[in-house]
Amino acid sequence: MTHRSVSWTDAESVAQLLARATGPKRAAPGGAVARLAPVMPAAAAVAKPRLASVPPVAVAGGRGAEATAAVPRLQQYSDNPSDRLDLLLAWTLDHQRCTGAFIADDNGLTLAAHGISEAHVSLVGPLLSALLAVRSIPGVDATAGALWLGTNMMSWVEARTHRGGFCLGTVGPEALSTQALEQLKDALETTVRGL
Amino acid sequence: MIDTKLLDLAVQDLRNVLRDGLVATDIWDRADGLTLAGFNQQPVAVALFTRITSELESSLADSNFPPLARYYLLDMEGSHTVAVINHGSLLQGVLVDNKRANLGILISVAIPRMIEAVAKAKAR
Repeated sequence: MTHRSVSWTDAESVAQLLARATGPKRAAPGGAVARLAPVMPAAAAVAKPRLASVPPVAVAGGRGAEATAAVPRLQQYSDNPSDRLDLLLAWTLDHQRCTGAFIADDNGLTLAAHGISEAHVSLVGPLLSALLAVRSIPGVDATAGALWLGTNMMSWVEARTHRGGFCLGTVGPEALSTQALEQLKDALETTVRGL
Repeated sequence: MIDTKLLDLAVQDLRNVLRDGLVATDIWDRADGLTLAGFNQQPVAVALFTRITSELESSLADSNFPPLARYYLLDMEGSHTVAVINHGSLLQGVLVDNKRANLGILISVAIPRMIEAVAKAKAR
């Protein structure tokens, strides 16, 4: 049996991106990313992330309205697909409530992942295929959702390009909010536009 | 007429995408086996995959199977994957270390970009 790399991204470079994106909020490299992924060989230098601020949005929750921390909008400045995927994964891990994240194509093949097994990522293939029929129902978008895996909740969004569909997903104890899914979708579309 | 400078740029782009997961690649004319661009070029592999591709295509045709489309893959011992990309009159072999790269990047990003880039080089 071969041991395919589930993680294309370099843990060190992702940690550096996280540190740049968040400043003092995140500890030095070797934090969350290092726990989530095996150490990979050094990758090429990635573009410095530039994150545009968006105003905080008040969200009405079940226990009353609560202001959520502003999530900076992801902006991609590199033309290199691997750098773009690295940055998207780092942004997702840093700004969404999750223990793992992945980017896959619509066949369920992993493009980048941290903290989730390749087997779980491969669920995306049949999942998106099954949703094709659902999307034929007028008024149903079905390009985002959540799936209970038994011990974790996988939340995902999908974006399509002329080269096919791409999926950005997270795993965590709870499903992401619709606001978070919209943020993920925007970030994914920004990223795959240049692949 | 094929613009070999564009082929060189395409190979460089492939190296950027696959990073150190790319072990070797060659783009060659399937009629004469002449390599037009590459990285860590492998003349023996060029001859081998010209023959394999030719036999695969004739076997598919003889069996009334659909013809070869964009590529085929070989999973090799030692955690290596070979992708042979069909550019029409040109073929391309891509040897990938699958501990350092993954199939998703190869199939959904690297191969489509390579096909577009080689098509542009052939159109010049």
